[in-house]
Amino acid sequence: MLSLVFVGLNFIYEYTLYPKDLYDKCSEIFELKVSQDTTDIYYFAESSNFNVRENDSIQNTISEIVNFFYPSLRITAINKPATHAGIYKHWIKQINPKVNKPKAIVVTLNMRSFDAMWVNSVLETQLQESLVLTQPRPALVNRFFLSLQVFDNKNDQQREKTMLTDWDTTKLIFPFDFRYKTVREWDYSTNFEHFYKNPDGTKDEAKTILACHYIKAYALNMNERNPRVRDFDEIADWCNKNKVNLYLNLMAENLEYADSLVGKELVFLMKQNRDYLVKRYQKNNCIVVDNLELVSGIEFTDQTWTTEHYSYKGRMSIAKNVAKSLSKQFSNEYKNAY
Amino acid sequence: MLFNSLHFLIFLPIIVGLYYLLPQKFRWMLIFIASCYFYMVFVPKYILILFLIIVIDYVAAITIERLNGRLRLFYLIASLCANIGLLAFFKYFNFFNENLVSVFSLFGKEFHPVDLSIILPIGLSFHTFQSMSYTIEVYRGKQKAEKHLGYFANYVLFFPQMVAGPIERYDTLGNGLKTEHKPVYENFANGFRLILFGLFIKMAVADNIAPYVNQVYADPLKYNSLRVLLATFLFSFQIYADFFGYSTIALGSARLLGITIMDNFKTPYLAKSVSEFWSRWHISLSTWFRDYLYIPLGGNRVKLPRWSFNILIVFMISGLWHGASWTFVVWGALHGLMLLLEKYFSKLFKFEIKNEWNFVNVLLVIKTFVITSFIWIFFRAESFSKAKDVIKAIVKNNHSTGEAMSPFFPLLFTGVLLMFDFLLYNCRFDKKLEAFKTPYRWAFYTVILFCLMALSGTQKFTFIYFQF
Repeated sequence: MLSLVFVGLNFIYEYTLYPKDLYDKCSEIFELKVSQDTTDIYYFAESSNFNVRENDSIQNTISEIVNFFYPSLRITAINKPATHAGIYKHWIKQINPKVNKPKAIVVTLNMRSFDAMWVNSVLETQLQESLVLTQPRPALVNRFFLSLQVFDNKNDQQREKTMLTDWDTTKLIFPFDFRYKTVREWDYSTNFEHFYKNPDGTKDEAKTILACHYIKAYALNMNERNPRVRDFDEIADWCNKNKVNLYLNLMAENLEYADSLVGKELVFLMKQNRDYLVKRYQKNNCIVVDNLELVSGIEFTDQTWTTEHYSYKGRMSIAKNVAKSLSKQFSNEYKNAY
Repeated sequence: MLFNSLHFLIFLPIIVGLYYLLPQKFRWMLIFIASCYFYMVFVPKYILILFLIIVIDYVAAITIERLNGRLRLFYLIASLCANIGLLAFFKYFNFFNENLVSVFSLFGKEFHPVDLSIILPIGLSFHTFQSMSYTIEVYRGKQKAEKHLGYFANYVLFFPQMVAGPIERYDTLGNGLKTEHKPVYENFANGFRLILFGLFIKMAVADNIAPYVNQVYADPLKYNSLRVLLATFLFSFQIYADFFGYSTIALGSARLLGITIMDNFKTPYLAKSVSEFWSRWHISLSTWFRDYLYIPLGGNRVKLPRWSFNILIVFMISGLWHGASWTFVVWGALHGLMLLLEKYFSKLFKFEIKNEWNFVNVLLVIKTFVITSFIWIFFRAESFSKAKDVIKAIVKNNHSTGEAMSPFFPLLFTGVLLMFDFLLYNCRFDKKLEAFKTPYRWAFYTVILFCLMALSGTQKFTFIYFQF
């Protein structure tokens, strides 16, 4: 009797209040569900897709530019700031292959999303909250769990503690001798011992902070234990299982600044991590669109912080690279737009 | 551990199950461990403060009972000083320092207080007051000192009411914890009813009102008079639903273990005067202040000026008990002042409030609600300048520039809360529901359960009274 009542309540909820709740809490999944019938390619991205430089004469997003090369294909961009493979994985699993299978999925990843700072970001709580309503449980239970805050709901202090522990304990591996064994050591030394100086000999705070930030953002050795690598493995498995072509769109990073601010060791790690991703996922039927070194330092919108926000020129370079990769699958639809 | 968490919804049935499986002589251990665990989910190390309070008052009470003469008073004062000292240190140290800085600056001097970065242990004001009532009762000879440390510890720690009351007396809770309870259907049924209702009141009513109030109170000058006024009225319902919901879950949880704790609320917004409001709002605190401060100060057996002074003192201390800020003191003082004005008015005009419901009484209920709502501004605002902004916005602000959330759900649930208040006037939810026929009762459960599951607030709000 109780089960019947519950089934009835769940039914009422699912067909009355659930769509609005889903739209309020995770408009991206809502958008994904309603666009499934009319989509050939999904383009999943973080803020790199829609962030533009204010004075750009052309303000199109990367996915829109890609679409110019394939005017006959319907490309749907699903983006949200600070997202990463763990979130895309969940979004992609919401695609029902029986309704209308997309021909391809482009997943945008940036190098920083694999580091401890992003993995333990304070924004993660909000991202995790947005996924509760689409967990594989009855809709009403998901709604109740949302109210009870049943998700990875660590507070800022807990996340920071995990991040600091990671920087303290994870050893950096180089094929050559390097004096710093952990991110913490490298960061500490850059901040307090070998910091940047102003012409008058005082500490150049801004430049030092930026250098330290580059270290914290990119100094890591990617491996199969990295949570984001495991998340992308699941995306690749889902695409393989459902026979959907997967494109890993690895975003451009400011290697020029990484080199000039921190040094060749950091650039070495960034390139090594790129090689790791290319090797790992090419083996797994995934096409890796390697944009890592594609955009020059000046084309990054934020010059005093690490972001993957580009000027029109930068966005165009990446879009062209993505379009070129897609052309193997969609040669008939390709049009040389530029 | 929060009542409105999955953690608690799993924890409680396990404890209830184990409680009835264990023989009576081991049950105190289970309650003790469960209560420690419940508390340690917040900040583990602060359990040591509770242990300290327990040991001090346990030893003090036994010593007071054994001694005669003035030494008894000495031990009572020592115990009270220890309790109030702990409370003062953790709750009022920073407040005291801030005031010292202000006083020094008045004379053009600088004062640099020691920064101890103290965080107030959750529910400390409740534990200390509950524990103090026990030693005072032992001193007065109305309560025998508890010899079993475990039982006494459970009296202070009892998880359903340890962090936000009701502030219980030893003769009810202490004895309830010692009595052997059998698993009785009535206790289970009423316990579940109360928990369901309490969760609904907290999660569906309070947590749906909170976002609206928070938005407006974050920057009141951005909103027009109507919105700020609405937010002020809604806050009255939010804090009521928040605390009433907590207290009802506490009542239900204790009832599942066969233990009865006191009702902390009796439809306070249907009070016809401020004095009646205080006999219906946070009853356990009001009675504590009545028994241990108001009556020792002379109660109503003194002359009018002294009585007025006593009332003001009691309410101001009650305000300070709530929070270490002058806004709380003003909140208390305004309540005291209103109560005095009502008394003077009724004396002057020989006006007596009748018990039956009539038009005049309806107007009096509205008047009391408006007054208490206005006074809540000082409770809700973080500072006097914020309170000033709220009042300024209510009085003259025609422009709304802030992002305006729809008041639909807050108003809808306020309406539901009011409806329950009318239905439950001078009656409790579980008792009222008991009288319903089974199909109606189950239909009611279904509706409440659906609202709880599908319409509860989705933002994280802890119980407001946890900060005290």
